[in-house]
Amino acid sequence: MDELIYTLKQQIIEALNLEDMKPEDIDENASLFGEGLGLDSIDALELIVLMEKNYGIKLKDPSQGKEIFKSVAVMADYISKNRTK
Amino acid sequence: MKPILVIGMGVVSAIGLGKAKTLEALLANRSGVGELKYLKTEHKEFPVGEVQLTDAEMRKRLDIAEDAVTTRTALMGMLALEEALADARLTQEMLPQVGFISGTTVGGMDMSEQFYLDYIHGEAHKEYIAAHDCGSCTEMTAKRFGKFAFVTTLSTACSSAANAIILGANMIRCGEADIVVVGGSECITKFHLNGFNSLMILDTQPCRPFDATRNGLNLGEGAAYLVLESEESAKKRGATAQALLSGYGNACDAFHQTASSPDGEGAFRAMKEALELAGLQPSEIDYINAHGTGTPNNDVSESQAMKRLFGDKVPPVSSTKPFTGHTTSASGSIEAVFSILALQNGFVPVNLNWSQAMEDGVVPVSQPTKKALKHILCNAFGFGGNDSSLLLSNADFSLNRHCGLDPQSPKRQEPVFVLSAKQISIQQPLSEDWMQNAEIHETPFTRSIDPSFKDYISPIEARRMGKILKRAVATSKEAIKAAGLESVDAIITGTGYGCIENTEFFLDALSTEGEQLLKPTYFMQSTHNTISSLVAIQTKNHGYNATYAHKGISFDSALQDAWWQFQLGQINSALVGGHDEMTDTFYHILKKGGVMGMDDEKCGEAAVSVVLACEPMSHVFEPFETSLLDKSALRQAQGPKALCKLIGFQMLHNPSQNALVDAVATLLQSAEKSLADVDFILTGMSGNHEGDRAYREEAKTLFGDKPLLRYKHLFGESFTASGLGFYVAAQCLKAGRVPASLFVDAKEIRDMQPKCILLYNRSDGKNVSLTLLEA
Repeated sequence: MDELIYTLKQQIIEALNLEDMKPEDIDENASLFGEGLGLDSIDALELIVLMEKNYGIKLKDPSQGKEIFKSVAVMADYISKNRTK
Repeated sequence: MKPILVIGMGVVSAIGLGKAKTLEALLANRSGVGELKYLKTEHKEFPVGEVQLTDAEMRKRLDIAEDAVTTRTALMGMLALEEALADARLTQEMLPQVGFISGTTVGGMDMSEQFYLDYIHGEAHKEYIAAHDCGSCTEMTAKRFGKFAFVTTLSTACSSAANAIILGANMIRCGEADIVVVGGSECITKFHLNGFNSLMILDTQPCRPFDATRNGLNLGEGAAYLVLESEESAKKRGATAQALLSGYGNACDAFHQTASSPDGEGAFRAMKEALELAGLQPSEIDYINAHGTGTPNNDVSESQAMKRLFGDKVPPVSSTKPFTGHTTSASGSIEAVFSILALQNGFVPVNLNWSQAMEDGVVPVSQPTKKALKHILCNAFGFGGNDSSLLLSNADFSLNRHCGLDPQSPKRQEPVFVLSAKQISIQQPLSEDWMQNAEIHETPFTRSIDPSFKDYISPIEARRMGKILKRAVATSKEAIKAAGLESVDAIITGTGYGCIENTEFFLDALSTEGEQLLKPTYFMQSTHNTISSLVAIQTKNHGYNATYAHKGISFDSALQDAWWQFQLGQINSALVGGHDEMTDTFYHILKKGGVMGMDDEKCGEAAVSVVLACEPMSHVFEPFETSLLDKSALRQAQGPKALCKLIGFQMLHNPSQNALVDAVATLLQSAEKSLADVDFILTGMSGNHEGDRAYREEAKTLFGDKPLLRYKHLFGESFTASGLGFYVAAQCLKAGRVPASLFVDAKEIRDMQPKCILLYNRSDGKNVSLTLLEA
């Protein structure tokens, strides 16, 4: 799980162009939207693309992201249970 | 305002070619949305509203050779324009007195997305390269019918055509034109179908605006043009009105790049302005043709805006998007035609596919309704919150209404003060030092020298912005600050090619990786109006907001828009920008297509922001007083003195020698100047041999032996380089001297304390702009 969390942080940094950040800078339990990293709806769409590209998970409805993208840890958990690649 | 006559119109969309077929389909509740037939894409799951003709069939109808360079957007534009001109009985001989203003965002993308890899790697299809941009599309459409007096292109995404109508109306109200043809055209492309899909706002079912189960929009395509004419001119010609344009509003939501605000601020302001300009009460509106795309977000936001304006008495509302799909840049004029057909025939178009009220939403008209209509509001909103609303009235609505804002009779044009000008280019960014140490760069394509953007944009915001956006935000904020203002009444931007870096990323992924997993970030930054709307978001500005994308006169078009609004007294201050970026790939493509980089022409990038105001010092003028609250918050503190004055402006398309001579005479006359007062002509000579020769030859006839100076060798050619010309002239007037680097050769260098400079810009050998600046 730790390995997946680390990889996922790297992928998030790349997909969202968080240039000055390193995986260590992201707290996997902190919220990605709002208070925490301060991401917005376009970032949520980028995370949907990220999940499909790297893990073969297809979300049909962007509102599903609200639960899944709560934090990196929640996201990793969802990926480990639903990944097809 | 005094209403403007609509004396002709033409339309093509998924529900038919021409007004008659369109009316028939609207009355029969017959939708044109169905399975995708013509566009070559793997996304067959999305219903679309396609015009039921192939490109080849349109070419045949228009008698255009199979191998002639044209695009689907231009072809649909020609079909609609042909009908509009015939309907208004405008002949080819009359066109040199008529303006043409069109809206589009995709331009020639239907061809670029097919041939992109050929453009990069081969020679095939390279003749289509010059047809990529929005301005080319407008010119191809116009050229078929003759020579219009002037042409330009609005590109504010899905409100483009509505804003074209607004510019045309402003020019008529100023007395600058008697007749203007306005509207827009847009075909469906793989590029924006995939882009909208990456934003997850496309429905796989027929769209259901204002319905509880709505789940996105269906894309559509089409074109429509209206012929606008002043009352005096129509009377003289014996032309009769089919309807009246009696008001309009343009405001910026300034909320988010792709989402509308929950309270519909931009939409609310646009509709409110339209009512105020017309001098009408909300209770007098009989029907609202809503933007109503069917996305969860739009319909909530627009409902809120309508409820705020109309309270519990919202007039009958419907969205006609279920008939046609969302025709994006053309929707403003297509739906204006639908609204006029409704006025003429006394019916409210049905909001098809609606069955269940949405929470907090309006309940649209879902049954055929016959009803006499006097006044209709027609909404068109675009990405970035470019919201516009048109007020269309029955032809017998009193023409004698007058509500104060129009100039009563032609008068001397009022000067406009240039309070500040800031640029980022290959020369010293954001400083005036270039006059001392201008460097001449020898490489054929140079990139701008960027300052640190940290002072202007937070890292979390900057990470998603391309360089063009960062430069626009930085120069805009600097220019507003240097002007001593906190805010401006209008933000108007010109960009020839827009955010080309992100367009390239998206095209590249589409061409090499296919139509899956495309990044929404690239798409949302590919529309031209991203720049102007982002500046509005960054400076929290809800005022007028527009973007022009017309080749080398993009900045000039933005300047023209501001100029006429100042003359109308509609604004007291404006931020006018010119922004273009370039990439290695697009430079290679454009050079191959003969668009730039010919002969000794060096290319660069441009970012210019200029603040204009009706008074020379910011502390002198009062906040703009209309019933719109906080339309601008002008600070009353002591501000810096203006750099110079803008005292005249003219723009022409493909002018004859005589027309040019007349234009120069009119320009000088209305500014109460003579040619002797002009110290020198600042030309856009770029090192392109043919172009420079034309400059010299024309200048001899127009200006005799006035010295011709140049600036593009210092900055490089770019589509909005004329903005840098404006910047250079303003700096020379402020400093009271001319740097030696501007003279064409050393022999000419003389000591000069300029008081009056004429900027002379020719783009593509076709479009000419003349800008007169005075110390």
